[in-house]
Amino acid sequence: MNPFSPSTHLLLVILAPLVGALAAWLLGSRGLAAVRQSAAVTTLVTLFLAAWLVARYLASPEAAAGSPFGVSEAAWLVDGPLDIRLGLGLDGLSLWLFALSALLSVTAVMVSWEAVREKTVGFYALLLVLEAAMLGVFAARDVILFYVFFEFTLVPLFFLIGIWGHDDRRRAAVKFFIYTLAGSVLAFLGLLTIVLWNAAHTGTLSFDIATLTAGLAAHPLPMDARGGWLQWWVFLALFAGFAVKVPIVPFHTWLPLAHVEAPTGGSVDLAGVLLKIGIYGFLRFSLPMLPEATAAAAPWIFGLGVVGILYGALVALAQTDLKRLIAYSSVSHMGYCVMGLAALEPVAVEGATLQLVNHGLSAAGLFALVGMIYERYHTRSIANLGGIAARAPWLTVMFMLFTFSSIGLPGLNGFVGEFMILIGSFQRAWGGVSAAWRPAYLAMAVSAVAGVVLGAWYMLWAVERVFFGPSREPPHDHGGHEAPAAAHAHADGHGASHGHGDGHGHGAPAVPTDDLRWYEWLAVAPPAALALWIGLFPATFLAPSAAAVRSAMAPGAAALAARMEAGDAVTARLPAPPPLTAHLDPIP
Amino acid sequence: MTPTSLSTFLLAGPELTLVAAALVAYLGGAFFGLRQGWVVALAGIVAAALWPEMGPGSGAVATSGPLAIDDFSLFVRSLVLWAGAGLALVQSGDQLRAAITPRPGPRPTGTCEEAGTFLLLLAGLSLVASAGDLVLLFAGLELVSIPTYVLLALKRTDARGQEASLKYFFLSLVASALFLYGLAALYGIGGSTSLEAIGARLRSGEGRVAGTAEILLPVAFGMLLGGVAFRLAAVPMHFYAPDVYEGTGPANAALLSTLPKVAGIVVLLRLLALGTGGTTGLIALGQGAVGPAAAAWLTFAWQVAALLAAVTMTVGNVMALVQTNLRRLLACSSIAHAGYLLVGVAAAAAADATVGGRPFAGPDTAWTGALGGASATLFYLATYTAATVGVFGGLAYLGHRWPEWTSGSAPRPPREEVSTVDDLDGLSGTNPVVAFSLSVFLLSLAGIPPLPGFWGKLSLAMSALEVDWTARAVPGSRRIVFIALAVVLVLNAAIAAAYYLRLVAAMYFRSAKRGVQADGGIAAGLAMLLALVAVGSMTFRPKPLFAAASRAGAAVAAPHERGPITADAPPQPGTAPRVPLAP
Repeated sequence: MNPFSPSTHLLLVILAPLVGALAAWLLGSRGLAAVRQSAAVTTLVTLFLAAWLVARYLASPEAAAGSPFGVSEAAWLVDGPLDIRLGLGLDGLSLWLFALSALLSVTAVMVSWEAVREKTVGFYALLLVLEAAMLGVFAARDVILFYVFFEFTLVPLFFLIGIWGHDDRRRAAVKFFIYTLAGSVLAFLGLLTIVLWNAAHTGTLSFDIATLTAGLAAHPLPMDARGGWLQWWVFLALFAGFAVKVPIVPFHTWLPLAHVEAPTGGSVDLAGVLLKIGIYGFLRFSLPMLPEATAAAAPWIFGLGVVGILYGALVALAQTDLKRLIAYSSVSHMGYCVMGLAALEPVAVEGATLQLVNHGLSAAGLFALVGMIYERYHTRSIANLGGIAARAPWLTVMFMLFTFSSIGLPGLNGFVGEFMILIGSFQRAWGGVSAAWRPAYLAMAVSAVAGVVLGAWYMLWAVERVFFGPSREPPHDHGGHEAPAAAHAHADGHGASHGHGDGHGHGAPAVPTDDLRWYEWLAVAPPAALALWIGLFPATFLAPSAAAVRSAMAPGAAALAARMEAGDAVTARLPAPPPLTAHLDPIP
Repeated sequence: MTPTSLSTFLLAGPELTLVAAALVAYLGGAFFGLRQGWVVALAGIVAAALWPEMGPGSGAVATSGPLAIDDFSLFVRSLVLWAGAGLALVQSGDQLRAAITPRPGPRPTGTCEEAGTFLLLLAGLSLVASAGDLVLLFAGLELVSIPTYVLLALKRTDARGQEASLKYFFLSLVASALFLYGLAALYGIGGSTSLEAIGARLRSGEGRVAGTAEILLPVAFGMLLGGVAFRLAAVPMHFYAPDVYEGTGPANAALLSTLPKVAGIVVLLRLLALGTGGTTGLIALGQGAVGPAAAAWLTFAWQVAALLAAVTMTVGNVMALVQTNLRRLLACSSIAHAGYLLVGVAAAAAADATVGGRPFAGPDTAWTGALGGASATLFYLATYTAATVGVFGGLAYLGHRWPEWTSGSAPRPPREEVSTVDDLDGLSGTNPVVAFSLSVFLLSLAGIPPLPGFWGKLSLAMSALEVDWTARAVPGSRRIVFIALAVVLVLNAAIAAAYYLRLVAAMYFRSAKRGVQADGGIAAGLAMLLALVAVGSMTFRPKPLFAAASRAGAAVAAPHERGPITADAPPQPGTAPRVPLAP
């Protein structure tokens, strides 16, 4: 019935963008139209293949248990005891993030349709290579392969930011690269230590993630002074890599710069997918492999998540640049994911996993729309924008939809994720921590709720200023593009006012200041539709990953429970609160 | 055994081929008006590579006189020949084309001398790897050093070039002297010039040897390491590198950053084998007896190597961060890479520096380690050499910048070499192939996966983490030292990415101001492309090189790299399985 086996199918999904990149390169001489069309076709075909694969997965017997699907294990470096493989496979943990990568790649190409007019071959080829790397990182079943994709996502994005970015692009590109690399090399050492530990105990030098998880469950890394706190150190090493990638707050400084300076397509991929790799790494490695250390660190990471929520929101409030505001909102929203993860309650972790997809959709949509606004008005300054709703109602509608999704309006996806995270956090704060920790946990959980209010504040305030109120025209030059179709007054005479370099503006595209065009619809409509879908039918999306998420977090949760019991043997645990989330929670 | 001259000649066939080609170049150039020196050089290298491999199968040693050919020598020999082919192309530059296609005008002179000297250098380096005797070891090293002086002096005529060659000359002499003192001390300990005999004595556990060794071993190793550190450009003998690289041309910089490092690593590993026994000591170790002298030797070696590794890579990388001159930057980067290589050396030494032959196995099973420091070092050395030859090949190919636009009757400005980072501005627009290749090489040097540099750093980090794997990680233990070393290694990789990215950013993110002439000769470009092919194949199929490096590392270093030791029919201690040489 199906023309190819699941493993071939998965391989095809990952290879398709690479083939597309090659095609874009070969078509380079045919001009812009051919290149971007081929890129669009490639991402659409990849999306189709990925969606088909997801459907096949959901229909397969593996889906119920969230177990791996489409597994292939070609040898890469298999020599003597070394057994590094090109292991690929999807499971409940990676399924939606994999699909999200394919979906947002379409958005990334579509938002670049008119925005990128220089060196287009390189741009689209890199975008497609980035897509392959993103798909690969979620499909990797081998530690080394995971790390290779994990690192390799940096290279295309480095060039995307550095060549097609805005004013400060070079600094942003280098900072982004170095910062992430510095973290991930430590994570690499941690992963190697895990591999060696497993090898010392099982006798085989396996790099297979599933084998390692099983091996570390049987022979946990020592978490005491006798064993040199090895588990703790490995956890910290992994934390360094994943926390920078998320980013968890003290390690976030690369993010606003990279987001703001990146071209819209790069921002979409960065915010939509790449940040998720950090949380995914925690879920894939730290929680199942290092449960005791995770439990020990959980309260602190929980706190860092809350700090991230509040800090990101407060800094976002103060922004005058719309794109920078969205960037800080990403910091804030990833704080929820961190918090949900560290709560180590099933509801919260499932919510965090869903929230990864939710934030991917809303942040990518918002960045895409900001890019569209920038193309129209050549400014992202909130003060210089105003009254867009009157001229571009659909753009406004989409922006508000993503805004509502991002601030957690019920009926949209953001609500489900945040709600589950908060419920889980309160469950943890109320019934799952020792008496000593309870006040702190409660305070943190309540503060996180305050973050929701702050989130609504800065987003709605920005929407109000940018889209409503008196129509305002930013001063900008026409830079050779044709006169905008809509009739409006221009404040001219600022020919050199927007000082971006050689990447943009000259020979600027003919984007009239009208409403969404077809390619822009194609960029934002799929994430918007999905946001609605997840908001209305969350169980459809929660169910396939629930089992995998639960089994990934179970050791950590058990360790945390043991830790809290030990820390507070006297205090009787309060009865667990009634299962408020029963209607959300597909697995009782 | 009685070495026959014929078997010695057969074993050293490739080296003798190189020397013969060198003689053809010298004599032809001097007496017969030969101008195709580099053609002769390439032909000589190919002929040496085609020489039927006289080497033994895995694990065995074929000795004849002072020569000892094992898997290690064979690996180094092929590395030298591959690198030599690439470097010969870079060195020949535009002269190769001029030699092949007859053009009117003055012919380049001196190519035969350069080519012959270069061939001698390769022969010397290959001999170092095959030396089983202190005298031959030293002679081989000098056969590396002296041609290097000549090449440095021949290539450059301006003041900076002279400064560079003189600086290198004097410092190299000091290093050679130190090394020679070290050899003398080693002779004092071992009572023989044969490496095998010295090693056997060190490992024998003889009380008197141990007493002598306590005093003499640190002296010997310190002196030897001083001499080797110069060739590696490792701290504390690193400071000459930026000046010399800057003063000389890209072709010589390519040579200096690869071949002496190969020599240094080869010597270090051979010296470590005195303690571990390598192939010969294997049996003794398998029976659980490392003499105290050998243990002291290895302990001192890993301690010093670990310290130097950490300092060298950090110093190199931090120095490189602030460089604006390309060759200075790459010199600092080569210092850093010497540090990375030393990590593997330290791991190789530490893996067996325990007295009493504690079994190297996990607590539950008989897992015996993945790959040792020696294998990792050799693997890294190969990946580093490929990328470095490529980088300098690309820079040599770029040649000179276009001169500044001058109007009117101003005199034509002098030709300026591509020498600063800014000169690479916008290279992706003007020379896309070179820009792409250089980026690949630089990212490989930075260790970005999946490029070969990543595989190299992977194996180095693993070999360091493997040290004392079963021991408890308590502060002050060797385990902690090596974990710290691995952390320093990967953090340095991140620092290094900063300056490699600066080059990549210049090529891709800036626009060209003047552009480059790309007049460095098609041969250099060819070398760059060959290196690109090598790097590409190592990226996707690292296995062949990895397997070869594993075998080679096993031949010089720790026994756990050799796989299970068969218990039945133990050979006599101290004798290696020997392969009789078929005439």
